[in-house]
Amino acid sequence: MFPLLAWPVPSQPAAATARSGGAQRAVPRRTRCCPLPMAFRDVNARRHIGLQQLSSLASAGRAFLGPMKSHKFIVDESTNQSTLICSAVRLIESLDLTSAAGQLLNETIQVQNKEFKTGMSTLLFLVGAWSSAVVECLQQNVPVSAIVSVMSEGLNSCCERVQCLQISIHDVKKELCSSRVRPNAFECKACQVGCDSLLNPRGLLYFQKCISEPEVISISCCSHQGDDCHFNKGLVSPLVGFGSAASLVKPEGDRSSSVIPGSDVIASSCIKQKLTHSRHFSTLGKSHFSGQQGNFQEYLLKPSADPCECSDLGHLAMALSHGNQTGVKLLQSIVEYQQERAECRGSSQLNITEVVTCSLLGLPESYSCVSQGFVTLVSPEQAKVIKHFKDKSLWILLVDGDLTEQYRHLGFNRPHNVRTILEHPNLEGGRAGDTWLSRMLDILVSFEVNLVLVKGSVCKNLLDRCTASRILVIGPVPRDVLCAFGEVTGAQPVTYLSQLNPSCAGNGAQAELWEASDGRAMDLGELVPVRIDVRGIPLLTAVLTTAVASKVQLLEDQFWTSLYRLHHALKDGKVFPGGGAVELLCLSHIQVLTEQPVRPAKAGKEFPSPWLATPVAEYKSLVLQALASGWKRYLSVVMCNMAKAPSELEARALVDHHLKKAVDCGSPSAYILELFRRGDVLGGGFGPFADHGEGLKVYDNVAAKTEAWRRALDLVLLVLQTDAEIITGPKRNELLNSPVSSEFMFL
Amino acid sequence: MSRLEAKKPPLFISEPLTKDTVCQSLLLLSRIFKSSYGPAGRLKQLHNGVGGCVCTTSQSSALLRHLSVSSPVLRVLTASVQNHVSRCSDCGLFTAILCCSLIENFRSLNVAPCTVIKITKNLLSLCTDYLKSEACGCRVSVDFSSVETLVCLVRSVLTSKPACMLNKTEVEHLTTLVLKAFLFTVPCHVETNAVLGKCVIIPVKGRRVMDSTVLPGLLIETPEIQLGKPLAVKRTGSSMIKIALFCASMSGDSFSPEEGTIAVRHGTSLEMSELNQLLNVGKQLVHDGVGLVVCQKVIHPALKQYLKENHVMAVDRAGLSLMEPLSRMTGSKPVASIHSLSPGCYGSLKDVSIERVASKHFVHLIPGDTVICSLILCNRSETAWDELKRVCETAEHVLQLTMKEPLALLGGGCTETHLASYIRYKSSSLSTSTFQDLGCSQTQYQLVADGFCRSLESVARSLNHDGGEILTDMVYGHCWFVPSGLPSVSNWSDVVSKCGCGINGNTEDLSWRILEGQSCSPVIQGCPKEPSVKVTDFLTLDCFAAKCSGLQVALETANLVLDLSYVIEDQN
Repeated sequence: MFPLLAWPVPSQPAAATARSGGAQRAVPRRTRCCPLPMAFRDVNARRHIGLQQLSSLASAGRAFLGPMKSHKFIVDESTNQSTLICSAVRLIESLDLTSAAGQLLNETIQVQNKEFKTGMSTLLFLVGAWSSAVVECLQQNVPVSAIVSVMSEGLNSCCERVQCLQISIHDVKKELCSSRVRPNAFECKACQVGCDSLLNPRGLLYFQKCISEPEVISISCCSHQGDDCHFNKGLVSPLVGFGSAASLVKPEGDRSSSVIPGSDVIASSCIKQKLTHSRHFSTLGKSHFSGQQGNFQEYLLKPSADPCECSDLGHLAMALSHGNQTGVKLLQSIVEYQQERAECRGSSQLNITEVVTCSLLGLPESYSCVSQGFVTLVSPEQAKVIKHFKDKSLWILLVDGDLTEQYRHLGFNRPHNVRTILEHPNLEGGRAGDTWLSRMLDILVSFEVNLVLVKGSVCKNLLDRCTASRILVIGPVPRDVLCAFGEVTGAQPVTYLSQLNPSCAGNGAQAELWEASDGRAMDLGELVPVRIDVRGIPLLTAVLTTAVASKVQLLEDQFWTSLYRLHHALKDGKVFPGGGAVELLCLSHIQVLTEQPVRPAKAGKEFPSPWLATPVAEYKSLVLQALASGWKRYLSVVMCNMAKAPSELEARALVDHHLKKAVDCGSPSAYILELFRRGDVLGGGFGPFADHGEGLKVYDNVAAKTEAWRRALDLVLLVLQTDAEIITGPKRNELLNSPVSSEFMFL
Repeated sequence: MSRLEAKKPPLFISEPLTKDTVCQSLLLLSRIFKSSYGPAGRLKQLHNGVGGCVCTTSQSSALLRHLSVSSPVLRVLTASVQNHVSRCSDCGLFTAILCCSLIENFRSLNVAPCTVIKITKNLLSLCTDYLKSEACGCRVSVDFSSVETLVCLVRSVLTSKPACMLNKTEVEHLTTLVLKAFLFTVPCHVETNAVLGKCVIIPVKGRRVMDSTVLPGLLIETPEIQLGKPLAVKRTGSSMIKIALFCASMSGDSFSPEEGTIAVRHGTSLEMSELNQLLNVGKQLVHDGVGLVVCQKVIHPALKQYLKENHVMAVDRAGLSLMEPLSRMTGSKPVASIHSLSPGCYGSLKDVSIERVASKHFVHLIPGDTVICSLILCNRSETAWDELKRVCETAEHVLQLTMKEPLALLGGGCTETHLASYIRYKSSSLSTSTFQDLGCSQTQYQLVADGFCRSLESVARSLNHDGGEILTDMVYGHCWFVPSGLPSVSNWSDVVSKCGCGINGNTEDLSWRILEGQSCSPVIQGCPKEPSVKVTDFLTLDCFAAKCSGLQVALETANLVLDLSYVIEDQN
């Protein structure tokens, strides 16, 4: 079971461990300056508090490892509000990390998230695994410098070694296309399985139990692993038939889908089959609805039914998604659209800046889709204006700031001491605000602007006046959206409306109410989704629908993760085989490294400094084992989370078994690749599709994975090498007068 | 009604060095410095304890900036180390450790402070004379016609701070970049008074170190540039770009007075009139054929729009730090007020392009011939980036100092032990007239000299943080390290491999002995020798100027502290 984390955290487990360490009075570690020299050597030898904090913080995230993640509820005890989370980033965001090590951990996770949007759970887990392994090394009196040099060199060596497993995107595409499953045989089975599992009363019951009485204890984690996995498997299985089957049975993200009555899902899937493709992706050359040329009604981009005709990248997205189904279908649409455009532009990369998301609460998840242009929510009054716009080509204006009277561009300092003197009071004149409003409205009217996209906020009064004058003002709008509209309509973004001249406004925009794929009327209470489009705009909106409010953030995160995974796979130009292949090779490589003799420092071109010299052999093997234990625990926890092994111990034995086989066969990399080719790296399958045997492989990102490893190790080694905290500022005086002041030293 | 309070009398503390609190603080300070020293030094987490950013460092400059020392005696020490670091960048911890160690050693001697001071001054001159003489056995001359020694210097600086979190490949990559950046700043055509250029560090945090790079010219970050659009910049007849540089704000708010009040009639808009003036400046710029306008501060969006419509590129928020190199690179004079624009202010530029690094966009200003370059510095985490930036600046500074004085000292503790054995040898062979001149006995001289040598050796010993032994040899007087965990051996030559600086290998019997802190070490017969083979690659080298200055600062500060007899504290 997981340690209980409190929010806000008055004494989080990390701090608690730290204090219990300090309570024995052996280590006055957290000092104003630095402890007695003997004492802090003792810290390093026995229990390094920073490392303990890291490993205890990281242990909270182990349920997020692997394709089968368990969700957690984060409960704020002061407000009793809870948040559903399913990723390391959201977990770390929700924790109160005031300790120095905690803050460094947070920083590390955020940086990984910013660049890759994936690998954070791996990072968090390895931070924990490696810190506890390093603490064990310290307990065996391995010197810090030996740990640092062997671990960082070991990781480098492993990263070089696993390069031989990299598979180029080109080969992946070929592989995925050739190993495509026979659609017909699967269709029925998948459908059957899908319906079964969705209608399975046990599943339904289970989920209800899950949401009605989750194990909420301060922060609880829904980690009912055994059951969970069966349940997930049932839901995921219909996807095996991806392509043909996917259009039959909706891939449902996970358990929340069972809230929707089973019949509903099946109904929607039937409709889908009839709906076929949009004009953009019609594989038949014409679509059923493409009667009206150039209309903007069929904006819903549909993935093709036949995987052979659909892009190979769709398969890649699938293989990279690791069972995170939410985004795959959407991704496929995005990829197809961008590829079509890329043929003109000549770049094969996925452009992330041309994708935005819009979350709609109140529709089942099956309604998620990708729409061309910009989808956003507006008030019912504004929706009326849109009805009026129907089929009209609109003049569009882009505003690069707020649309309020008080707003001034960044860097403008408001004058403080300018006094305005009114010589002839004019009682009839309205208030100053009104003149601004009418002036702005006059400008908009005189340029015949129909649509204004504002980057910042919009003055409520102006919004109302504009709506009344049938001018649609939408804000705030992301910068990338403004750019995309600027590019195709020729509109130039302005900061103030007074800057407006005829060249600033663009033409050709269309606005309409967004409709679900089956034309289902959108009744989402206060807000109405609308779609703004321009012919040829590169912008796509992923409309993420869900009926469960707490899943909005979750779905959005999952979508972006999938998109970034594909983006980085294309950027790297290669992927790693998934399912633990890379980690297994690292483990076998560490065995090789352990057997290598310690190089004599004299030989060859080496770093001059004996202060960083290679340590003695005895330490080397201990430290390499510590490095290996990180990946070994990673593999076994993933297997446990997926219920491939009943306990971590058995999972570990399984890993050892495969490791031995890989090493025995002489060429571990060839052995592992062969296992991967057969779709069976760690026995019993390793992907979410494992139940359906061969054919469906999982891949991992190269840079995201190795960077996550490196960042995790860097953090652990940084904390390991730290021997004192120096606390500055007002907190210092607080500590001076506090009862714990004996643990600190003051200068 | 205000109440007058009687002034408190000042606090009078005599012999501050004998006070317990001062001694403890000194010990603590010395421990902080010693534990941070060297490539295996331990790091310190500096933070405010309530969730502020965490600075992980082992650098004296960062440590001293955050340490608030209450004792005035110690403040003398920290201030002079800080002063040294601001002048030389390098050898801050060396100075601090040596100074603390000197104070500790001399305080326990039963010799009057004034005598100690006289003797140490003599010792200092012995050291500096030796270091400056051709016969010096612990220095190498730096040959600027090859890069090897320069690479060693830079690499030694980069590897000395473990918080940068660099592996070997990354160290090599950055060493090359720092050296390349330095070479960019050396003018190609040397006139009578050559001035080194400047290398501007551009931060890109959260990326791999290997993504770092050096570019000639300057980069200005611009969030607004749209990619994919070709840059259309107006050029002059000679295909150069005319550039105008403004350090005045062009955001249209300069009518606001510093003090006093402006009264305006209702209906008059100061903002509008200011904008009109700005637009007039814009007209002038367009008329003069300017292709690029760079402003230190913000440009009013309306002016930007006007310039853009007239095919003039406008870049704002360049920042104060870029103004000097910008002006130097383009030959333009920064315009300090929008009313003082004259055609003589303009400079020229060869080309402009857009660079994309990580998720940031930069306008790259490319000059024809320049001594200005930009080092795009990447590191994975914020705290490691900050450390790396300081280290790179230090390396750049070390190269500049070395250019002035093309010498380097052997690093890795070897200079310290070598100098100590030199002083031991020298002080044992001084003539009696020297003692008479100094007004001290030979014993007193020996005591102080020994304290001085032990202090130097304690700096070398501070390089060791993981147990193991520190040795010195009786031939070259270098410093040797034996890692811990080795089976005990009878012969040191079985376990040592290379000396601290890497110049001597374990090829002959050098009669090693353990470098101990307390007992008087045996004096070697004759002057410590200079290594016969001078390998130039893969040495650990220290900056000559910085180390000499550090030695001097440490001694003089220690003397000053020892000489303090009263502290008078104003308590009001």
